[in-house]
Amino acid sequence: MMNRYLKWIVWIVIVASLVLCPIFCGMYFTNVVVTFAIFALFAVSYNLLLGFVGLFSFGHAMYFGAGAYATALALAHIEGCPLLLSLLIGILGSLALALLLIPIVARLSHSAFAMIHLAFSMLLYVLALKLRNITGGEDGIGGFPIPSLGIPGVFSLDMTDFTTFYYFAMIVIGISLWVAWFITKTPFGQVMVSIRENTMRVGYMGFKVTHSKAVAYALSACFAGIAGSIYALFNDLVSADCLHIGYSFAPILMTMVGGVGTFLGPIFGSAIFAVIEEITVRYTERVELVNGIILIVVIMYFPYGFMGMIGLIKRKILEKQLAAAAAEGRS
Amino acid sequence: MDPTTAMYVAQGIHGLAYGMMLFLVASGLTLIFGMMGILNIAHTAFFMLSAYFCYQVVAMTGSFWLALLIAPVATALVGIIVERYFLRKVHAAGLLSELTLTIGVMFVIMELVKVFWGTENLTVTVPPLLQGLINVGGLEYSIYRLFIIAMSFVVLIFLAFILFKTRLGMVVRAAVSDADMVNVLGINVPFLFMGVFGVGTWLAGLAGVAIAPILTVFPGLADQMGMDAFIVVIVGGFGSLGGALLVSLISGFLSSYGVQFISQLAPVLMFIFMAIVLIIKPVGFFGERE
Repeated sequence: MMNRYLKWIVWIVIVASLVLCPIFCGMYFTNVVVTFAIFALFAVSYNLLLGFVGLFSFGHAMYFGAGAYATALALAHIEGCPLLLSLLIGILGSLALALLLIPIVARLSHSAFAMIHLAFSMLLYVLALKLRNITGGEDGIGGFPIPSLGIPGVFSLDMTDFTTFYYFAMIVIGISLWVAWFITKTPFGQVMVSIRENTMRVGYMGFKVTHSKAVAYALSACFAGIAGSIYALFNDLVSADCLHIGYSFAPILMTMVGGVGTFLGPIFGSAIFAVIEEITVRYTERVELVNGIILIVVIMYFPYGFMGMIGLIKRKILEKQLAAAAAEGRS
Repeated sequence: MDPTTAMYVAQGIHGLAYGMMLFLVASGLTLIFGMMGILNIAHTAFFMLSAYFCYQVVAMTGSFWLALLIAPVATALVGIIVERYFLRKVHAAGLLSELTLTIGVMFVIMELVKVFWGTENLTVTVPPLLQGLINVGGLEYSIYRLFIIAMSFVVLIFLAFILFKTRLGMVVRAAVSDADMVNVLGINVPFLFMGVFGVGTWLAGLAGVAIAPILTVFPGLADQMGMDAFIVVIVGGFGSLGGALLVSLISGFLSSYGVQFISQLAPVLMFIFMAIVLIIKPVGFFGERE
């Protein structure tokens, strides 16, 4: 019973602090939280592949970038494009790219899967740099209008204001995270995990392994697209940087440090890296060096990441309680 | 020789030089993968590290030849340390841990290089013997590029000799196909792994020294070459040395002739080539497993 109340209290505290954040924390910190939330969703979408289906990709940035570019292009070229439509176009952009690649990648696994993603993401990166008249090359697409959210004539929320945008981004990301969590709890989520555990057996049991992989892949791409889309709206700028390999490594780092295969792991990982970056940026330019060292230490000494560590502590406490209960029973 | 043929030949030499350097990098990568099953993401970082070592040795002693000798060996030592004290510890945890560990190593090497040498371009001059152009049959070639081609061929032949004609090579090839079985037969496989990792990074280091005078030494040095090397390993088939050689040469010619004829598309030619090969044969030219 105690545990259930505790869970509710934790949730209420988290939601309340997120709601109150822009009121008390000021613009800079609010924007840090938005960035963290975007990367949390990106890492969760990546973990759907890596943690649940067991597919290791080095090019997830392309779905992030596809969502970002699709949204930016829609807003830059469609006159009076509503906010939610631009978000939808971002998702569809990622989905379209995923559907294009699925016939090639769904049959692969392990290293070949990882490397072909590295290559395709580099291809997109080069294309984004070269196709200047569409993507703007190195400069990217910037300064597109950010539409207001609302029903014309009834009400309208100005999205250029950082507080309203914060709430909008948080609600969209929150809903996406909930949907992603829900998917992992459905029978299909169980199939995803079983593919990771024993692909061959899933095939023998009559599930279509390649098809399931493809569906999970497309879902993961969609969530990454949402993250990218929000990112484009947030920065009002999309450049080829968000297709770069660094953006593909970010979710890997977050997932591994947070705890691979758990739903909350990537979110914690994203939070850990957000905090570390905030601290290290003040002392040194070499943030990546710190990230690299953290990654090495985590892999070598905490192979299950932050969530694994929590699990270990929980078990220790449980053991102590059990020992205490046993001692009481004896006396 | 008329100018058109001369142009073809000159571009061919360029492509050959790049292809052979690519082979040096890719052969190390494919050897390590074939034997240990590790895709060493840090491989290109070793390649870059060696170029910096080369700059340092040339700056200190003024001898490029000494750098050619010392820098790859120093790089190989770093590689051996990484294998012995980091990779081996997480080997039991599986492929994913090893892969991410190499990503971490790559980050650390790339950033440490910036800490020690800064981010500006550093030039390495070649010794007078290799400077200038040589005239063969009315055509002028850069001596340095010819030297790279020759050196790579020597390394290639040496590597092929060891792998296919000696007992050591036999053991290595056996370990590539089934490491556990070789271990059971009483051969110290962890030690062998360490050696192969060392040789692999030594090869990357050699290529790093070879490229230093051509491109100058800077932090983004490994970007192009690293990407191409990974593509070579995928398309050639993981763990196949012959595949790596073939695809390296194709890649070299594609890039040199591609710039000549369709300069707009040149950067993506290699990716298109890779996509076509993988759609037809997902394991690459000579690959047997994923």
